[in-house]
Amino acid sequence: MPDDLVARAQAGDQTAFRELYRQHAGRVYALCLRLTGDARDAEERTQDVFVRLWDKLRSFRGESAFSSWLHRLAVNVVLNERRTTGRRERRVTPVENPAALERQQGNPTEGVSIDLERAIAELPDGAREVFVLYDIEGYAHGEIAELVGIAEGTSKAQLFRARHLLREKLER
Amino acid sequence: MNERELQEAVNRLPKSIEPPRDLWPGIEARLGAGGGAGSWRRRWYWVPLAAAAVLVFLLLARGERSAWDVTALAGRPLIGTTRLAASGRLRVGDWLQTDDSSRALIAVGRIGQVEVRPETRVQLVVASANEHRLALARGTIDAKVDAVPRLFFVETPAGTAIDLGCAYTLETDSLGKGLLHVTRGEVEFQTGRRSSRVPLGALVQIRPVTGPGTPYVDDAPAPLVRALVAFDFERGGRGGARATRNILALARSQDALSLWHLLQRVDPSLRGAVYDRLAALVPPPPGVTRRAAVALESRALEGYWTKIQRIHFRTVVLRGVKNIDPRTGLAKP
Repeated sequence: MPDDLVARAQAGDQTAFRELYRQHAGRVYALCLRLTGDARDAEERTQDVFVRLWDKLRSFRGESAFSSWLHRLAVNVVLNERRTTGRRERRVTPVENPAALERQQGNPTEGVSIDLERAIAELPDGAREVFVLYDIEGYAHGEIAELVGIAEGTSKAQLFRARHLLREKLER
Repeated sequence: MNERELQEAVNRLPKSIEPPRDLWPGIEARLGAGGGAGSWRRRWYWVPLAAAAVLVFLLLARGERSAWDVTALAGRPLIGTTRLAASGRLRVGDWLQTDDSSRALIAVGRIGQVEVRPETRVQLVVASANEHRLALARGTIDAKVDAVPRLFFVETPAGTAIDLGCAYTLETDSLGKGLLHVTRGEVEFQTGRRSSRVPLGALVQIRPVTGPGTPYVDDAPAPLVRALVAFDFERGGRGGARATRNILALARSQDALSLWHLLQRVDPSLRGAVYDRLAALVPPPPGVTRRAAVALESRALEGYWTKIQRIHFRTVVLRGVKNIDPRTGLAKP
């Protein structure tokens, strides 16, 4: 039972925490990969998220689903890291050999997904963050404005820009 | 590709992507305790010698990063249940406690130091390159940090002090009632969605549940401070028209930083009055309009804050050297 796992991990059981990692690593990594646009950064941020989770786990009181709570924590870790280090000058295509994405075996839309993942990673930082949070993760503009530290109108403008750029890239 | 096709493609994206390698060993190495020893041993049989050397290096590095040096300045502070003689190490999870006659100095990684005053209880929560975090359960600390913003955090029972490159004194009781006094740079104190920016030469009072009040300069007139406290913490922290009017009547140009916070906290019907008083005391910079500021548009607020902060900084730093006009930040002849 996931609730048992959380409770055991809260009590300091590292084996339970490891199981939590196994269950949620894919979801957290996907979020980090899309928000950072860089596979190596995504690995580091994923590790940061779980280290932070270990520290913060005691404050989880079950008022929301654990996965939702962890998701929010992950968003904060990634965005805080970006605020700390500033905008990266180096931009790297996220997965030059997208082995991670090719694990989605048997998916008939795999090719489109990989193209879209690449296109998302190539978006400017601000546009990518808003696009990922709004269109993929389902956050509202007000929440994004608060999380990213921008005006709500800026969030809407970035989303418009991101969608426009993505359509252009995918039509090439 | 049209908008609908793009949305359909987005909907088909996998919610989960497995990392290309197992990230757990790196996570485990950064956690306070070591678990899963059996699995580690099994893996050790198969890793090449070079990897072993790397692992040893990482373990040594972890040991360095996950503990901070502590020096006793007076008396014999406690780390956990052990009396500190001259110096020692504070590890993640450890509590450092001083009694009424002891003090200690904590080296915050490589970015600064924290002096722990008497009757204080503090815990090391995170010690990594990207995050340095203490929990102050009660007492007083003096922090000095030289680093980029948002690397050093101090949690109190009422919220979190976020270092923006600075020096400050933070005190709290065990319930969260406290005071933050910044002496260099700027600190943000955050409780949930409520936050206060406190530049050098300014203070903010802190209360349980409500969090930080409205910051004020350290030479603010006592009646203004009382009015701010009434606004922030009476009537459940929701302020009021009467307290707002008192503040506006008492505020000087030097108190612009208080009015900037007030603008965002008063009832919307009072924002116009607060803005007008603020604009009369410190005119807004070019590009900041009344409409945008009253609508709390972040660009307008940030622009205004930058000007207020610059004037405030000059006023404090040049105090006793030059006579600075608190309305413009320029030196008076």
